[in-house]
Amino acid sequence: MASNQGLCFHCNEVIPKGVNLHVSILGSSQAMCCQGCAAVAQTIIESGLEDYYQHRTAAAPSAQGLVPDALVKMLEYDDESVQLEFVAQNENSKEVLLSIEGIACAACAWLIEKQLLHIPGVQKIHVNSTTQRATLVWDDQHVKLSQLLQSVQKLGYNATPFQTDKQEEIDRKLYRSHLLKLGVAGLATMQVMMFAIALYGDLFDDMELIYRDYFRWVSLIMATPVLLFSAQPFYFGAYRSLKAKTLNMDVPVSIALLGAYSASLYATVNGTGEVYFESVSMFTFLLLLGRLLELRARRKASETSSNMLKLVPKLAMRIDESGQQQKVAASQLKHSDIIVILPGEVVPADGQVVFGESEFDESSLTGESLPITKKHGDKVFAGTINHEQTVHLEVEAVSQNTFIANIMRLQEQAQSEKPKIATIADSVARYFVFGLLVIAALTYTYWHFHSPEDAFWITLAVLVATCPCALSLATPAALTAATHKLSKTGLLVKRGHVLESLAKVTSVVSDKTGTLTEGKLQIKHVNTRDDVDETTTLNLIGALEAQSSHPIANAFSEYQSYTAKNIEHHTGLGLSGEVKGLQLKLGKASFCGQPAEPKAGMLELVLMVDDKLAARVYLSDTIKKDAVRFSQGLKTRDISLSMLTGDDSAQVEYVAKQLHITDISSGALPQQKLEVVRTKTQKSPHLLMLGDGVNDGPVLAAAPLSVAMGLGTDIAKSSADAVLLGSKLTTLLTAMDLAKKTKKIIAQNLAWALGYNALILPLAVAGIVTPYMAAIGMSLSSLAVLTNSLRLNKQ
Amino acid sequence: MSIIFVLIPIALIFVCVGIGIFFWAVKSEQFEDLDRQGINILFDDKNKSKHDDDRPS
Repeated sequence: MASNQGLCFHCNEVIPKGVNLHVSILGSSQAMCCQGCAAVAQTIIESGLEDYYQHRTAAAPSAQGLVPDALVKMLEYDDESVQLEFVAQNENSKEVLLSIEGIACAACAWLIEKQLLHIPGVQKIHVNSTTQRATLVWDDQHVKLSQLLQSVQKLGYNATPFQTDKQEEIDRKLYRSHLLKLGVAGLATMQVMMFAIALYGDLFDDMELIYRDYFRWVSLIMATPVLLFSAQPFYFGAYRSLKAKTLNMDVPVSIALLGAYSASLYATVNGTGEVYFESVSMFTFLLLLGRLLELRARRKASETSSNMLKLVPKLAMRIDESGQQQKVAASQLKHSDIIVILPGEVVPADGQVVFGESEFDESSLTGESLPITKKHGDKVFAGTINHEQTVHLEVEAVSQNTFIANIMRLQEQAQSEKPKIATIADSVARYFVFGLLVIAALTYTYWHFHSPEDAFWITLAVLVATCPCALSLATPAALTAATHKLSKTGLLVKRGHVLESLAKVTSVVSDKTGTLTEGKLQIKHVNTRDDVDETTTLNLIGALEAQSSHPIANAFSEYQSYTAKNIEHHTGLGLSGEVKGLQLKLGKASFCGQPAEPKAGMLELVLMVDDKLAARVYLSDTIKKDAVRFSQGLKTRDISLSMLTGDDSAQVEYVAKQLHITDISSGALPQQKLEVVRTKTQKSPHLLMLGDGVNDGPVLAAAPLSVAMGLGTDIAKSSADAVLLGSKLTTLLTAMDLAKKTKKIIAQNLAWALGYNALILPLAVAGIVTPYMAAIGMSLSSLAVLTNSLRLNKQ
Repeated sequence: MSIIFVLIPIALIFVCVGIGIFFWAVKSEQFEDLDRQGINILFDDKNKSKHDDDRPS
């Protein structure tokens, strides 16, 4: 990879001004953008893995975000009771599945494998660069899991154990069995077609009968495994649909396959009539190919989403009777245990505060963007984050009984109720198949009275010539092409009905925090006293907030010129401390003894320096840059937009006003959200729900169509029908347009396929169509459908 | 022409062998990561396995 001026050699990002870092790679000095990248590059060189830079086809992820903070968390993965959840124990080794963030190309996989194989105790490591996963087998006596995770981290990747989701396991098995079937059908088709050409030659040149029969027998041998093995999915599909008393495309496919095969078998054994072995094989091959492509797209989506289901170790610090603190897995906690929650920690169980006072971030549960103060006797929920001070909790509910587990259950329930939308092809197929069967039966009856010896052959010709190949490819081919295009633009489709539903959407219901807004507080206005400098003010606040994990503190993270002493947290009020010899007080106006001067939708912070008012700073959650364009785009498409949020602060109205949203439901709990969406769905059945939080999980599962933000929580992503990668809202507009186009293309495909069949049908019924004409016609019509579908992929 | 009575069965045997290899390849997950296998050959094997490499890491 050529080195670019001003770009980091390792991650290819722009090197910030004033950074002058160099690492000697492959004999020349290369510039780096940050300490992280330099360290990673150095590790790679020192481990003798320079080859990586020679063969990689994509830049490495930036190592900027890798902080030692995560290393502490990794130690928790070593805990035996935590490992029970995700580690398989072999005789003298352990096995774990890791999801690895940041794998850009095959060279990354090689790099990780080589680096880990150096470590004594690692028995097997296999990295899959497509799925971004690794299987790791190691000996616990020699090396700890946390050490292995750290060595991956040193290379600039982020490895975490994860759980595969059920859907993915099913898709993986299905994909593999389809691949085997496709391979058999493909190889056999090649052979059979070869003999078929020789047999077609028979039409023009008299072939000795013995050769003709020989070729037929060989074709029979090759076509049999295709019929018995490769075509199985169609038989099962047909059986299932008949059992459910409907007709789907698999029914005529199965009838045509079995009919054509038995007729050919009869012809081969008796040495009369025509054989259709090549049609049987090729038809099976093409249909399987279409299904495989569809399956592959779906599999990719389910893999990506299950990579997100990371297992975060849940440890709790329990105080036993003697007052000692001990670490235990969260699952082992019991009712009325006393646990310690340190600042920055995620609460492992529902409980009541028995000691201390702190602020808890409940945004993932309720959508409330600011932390809530919890005092003695207040309830704290599992999954929320403690922001300020150490508190003791008395455990009230563990794992399955927690509030968050209830939300998950609500979501599962909602998911099972999701209306099943029949695909376009299925509804067309039902009529088509029925018509086809009736016509075939009529043809047979007619010829049975007029020319009994031809009746069977002509009926068969009808079934083969009108072989629903093009028709059954019409929808899947277009859907596959569109799904592929969608994932390139940034919408990952997880369920089959998404494209069809997207084309029909008439109303969009959106969550606020993290969906329409960035979900982060940012500085909006700074009003300082005339003699105070703005930058100095912000740096003073930055120093005070440096130690805090509060969302407010994040807004000041870039102002780090000074350090503060004697910082004190006043829960729910503010902070005080000493910076550069100045006594500072920061917080609510009332805390500082000043009158409040609120601004719409903003949070006011007052800074006092030596007991004198120095500045008022206004913070608010920023509306996403493309949210305005998104709301305008919906308006031009005649789609209504409403807001449904758990937040009930002044922010809600402010955001709604900016985006011209009039329909607002605020302060809704997960259960209420679910009810709102259910009532809305009754009014407009083509509703799209957009969300990102844990509290959106159930609604996303219940809505007719749901999209989760790519930066949202795992629960939201696993319950949604599609995931918006990169969280860019305007992508959704592009997707809607593409969905409409797909619908048009499917209609064209169906029209073409039906038109072709309508044309060939009378000829076949009249007994004019010869087998090779039927075969050519069938192939051409399928090809036309495929080419038309591929237009979706271009542009 | 009668040679085809011998050659075609031989060809069929090859096809069966091909199918056998394909089954093996699918079962041993050769198709799970298509980007990976193609590029593997480019890397030097100088420190391929941990057994013949005593360098501390």
